Amino acid sequence: MSKSMETPLPLRILNLILIGILCLTIILPFMHILALSFNNGMDAQKGGIMFLPRDWSLENYTEVFKQNNLINGLMISIFRTVVGTTIGVGLMAMAAYALTVKTLPGRKYITLFIFFTMLFSGGTIPYYLVLTDLNLTNTIWVYIIPSLYSVTNILLLRTFFNQLPMSVIEAARIDGSSEFKIFRTIVLPMSKPVLATISLFTAVGHWNDWYAGTFYVRDEMLKPLATLLQEMLTRQDALADILLRSSGSQAYEMLDRVSITSESLQMATIIFVVLPIVCVYPFIQKYFVKGITVGSIKE
Amino acid sequence: MTTFVTYNGELKSQEELEQHYKPVKVSTWVRLKKHKVFYTMLFPCLVFFLIFSYWPMLGLVLSFREYGFNTGILGGDFVGLKYFEQFFDDPRNWIYIKNTLIISCLKLFVALPFPIILAIMFSEMKNSKLRSTLQSITYLPYFISWVVVVGIMSRLLAPDTGLLNQLIQKFGGDGSTFFMMEESHFFPLVFISYVWKGIGWDSIIYFAAIMAIVPTLYEAASIDGASRLRQIWHVTLPGITSTIIILFILSLGSILSAGFDQIYLMQNPGNANVSETIDTYIVRTGLQGGQFGYATAIGLMQGIAGLVLTIVVNRVTSKKFDSSLW
Repeated sequence: MSKSMETPLPLRILNLILIGILCLTIILPFMHILALSFNNGMDAQKGGIMFLPRDWSLENYTEVFKQNNLINGLMISIFRTVVGTTIGVGLMAMAAYALTVKTLPGRKYITLFIFFTMLFSGGTIPYYLVLTDLNLTNTIWVYIIPSLYSVTNILLLRTFFNQLPMSVIEAARIDGSSEFKIFRTIVLPMSKPVLATISLFTAVGHWNDWYAGTFYVRDEMLKPLATLLQEMLTRQDALADILLRSSGSQAYEMLDRVSITSESLQMATIIFVVLPIVCVYPFIQKYFVKGITVGSIKE
Repeated sequence: MTTFVTYNGELKSQEELEQHYKPVKVSTWVRLKKHKVFYTMLFPCLVFFLIFSYWPMLGLVLSFREYGFNTGILGGDFVGLKYFEQFFDDPRNWIYIKNTLIISCLKLFVALPFPIILAIMFSEMKNSKLRSTLQSITYLPYFISWVVVVGIMSRLLAPDTGLLNQLIQKFGGDGSTFFMMEESHFFPLVFISYVWKGIGWDSIIYFAAIMAIVPTLYEAASIDGASRLRQIWHVTLPGITSTIIILFILSLGSILSAGFDQIYLMQNPGNANVSETIDTYIVRTGLQGGQFGYATAIGLMQGIAGLVLTIVVNRVTSKKFDSSLW
């Protein structure tokens, strides 16, 4: 190997420094929010907190857990994430697998039928009116049913299934296994990377979605955590809102607890919303690079 | 000519083989029946797209009709091009179009090189363990919702107590700038947060494309005396051009949509003049204002522009660069 194959040392160091800076711009803001969320709210308003809390306090978090609407929102978020992901990934995998069967009559037209929806759509308003016509708005199903399928995910799954060794599937076919059994016992177990990737996409999509909760749902008890956080951040004073919601003596009790500010409550809620993603992420992360890059490169 | 060995050891050409083993003609009905299980697997999917994608497309006729609560999605009286005229007659809408184009051009063109550069930088790192750790860190913001990102931004950029303003104070500034509220900071903030959120994730595909380049190309270049930087220019970049083009075409469909979540969440009374885009305007007049016909008409124009642009660019690139979507 000749010398110019190697990157010169100063360039490599510069490279590492620049990438390091990028990573710091990602980690430090989260650490700042984390520090604020563990800090006494009134104290935090004086400013000067960087990446470590100055006046430790768990009150912001205990307050989050005292908020009935936040706990309810958490339940809604968990429900839609679990149910929506399980059903959605199962259905998408089935559809994508059927699209890889080369002998399927009409396969080209069906693929086009699905793919075209990526290029053109009816737009925001007709879509909303369809949801109203179906009586989906203001029910919990508006979170689940309209997001069961996603074209990009179907295409990703299809590309992955196309790369599976046909010989294994053919062998099972000759052994007389039913097509559905082949799908369940051979295709799915061989497709773990892509299934993990699609599950992560779908789950994160559900967890992060605030739009449906804001525009398709009026009932407060149906709003997911993401929507509640969005409302909280938009409203200038979340604490005033808490006082409004809680009744009578409870309100006075709250007034005493001045160590929490709307700011500090927001910070705790942000951490609360981000935490599940950050926790699940490292476990699935090893799969998704493989999951999304298979077949996406033309050679 | 290719020859095949048959089961009893004879050598046959392809034509001979085909004559011997003529495919049995099966009637369409039998073929359909044989694939029953696959159609069952596809059925819910087709119903889904029929309801949630094609039915709303039918609802686009609302652009030409008066919406009434009892006439439903297909609308009532025919009003012709009334909504389109209404849209173009209002001078404010030109500002919204301009805002949308500025933001989407920032995202489509100006932001384009960043993930590519990052992918090249990662590919130059030889320590693969450190590299994959750093890569996973850069993917993370992609999975964080815009609600959270904008929430964090507002905190960091808050006047007086925000981290940035405190830094400015330390260096002698007054540190009371309302970054999120001021018009002049809106586009830069949109751009920076967009690049920050997507740079790592968007680099994955480029990175994989770089890894797929055959190493002998680099060897040949280095024998020719090309320095590492020249190799990047003459081997790496040409090696990923088709990937760049395909991703670019895919993103073009959204030229008239500046990304709803980010913009809507970053909007506030202070930056209203520069932050209203077509997407947010549709939601404001339609979903929030109830002007269904008018908002549908705007959405229709947006959708058609995106579709036409995608098709045209795809045609051009498929002729010029030999890479296309279909």
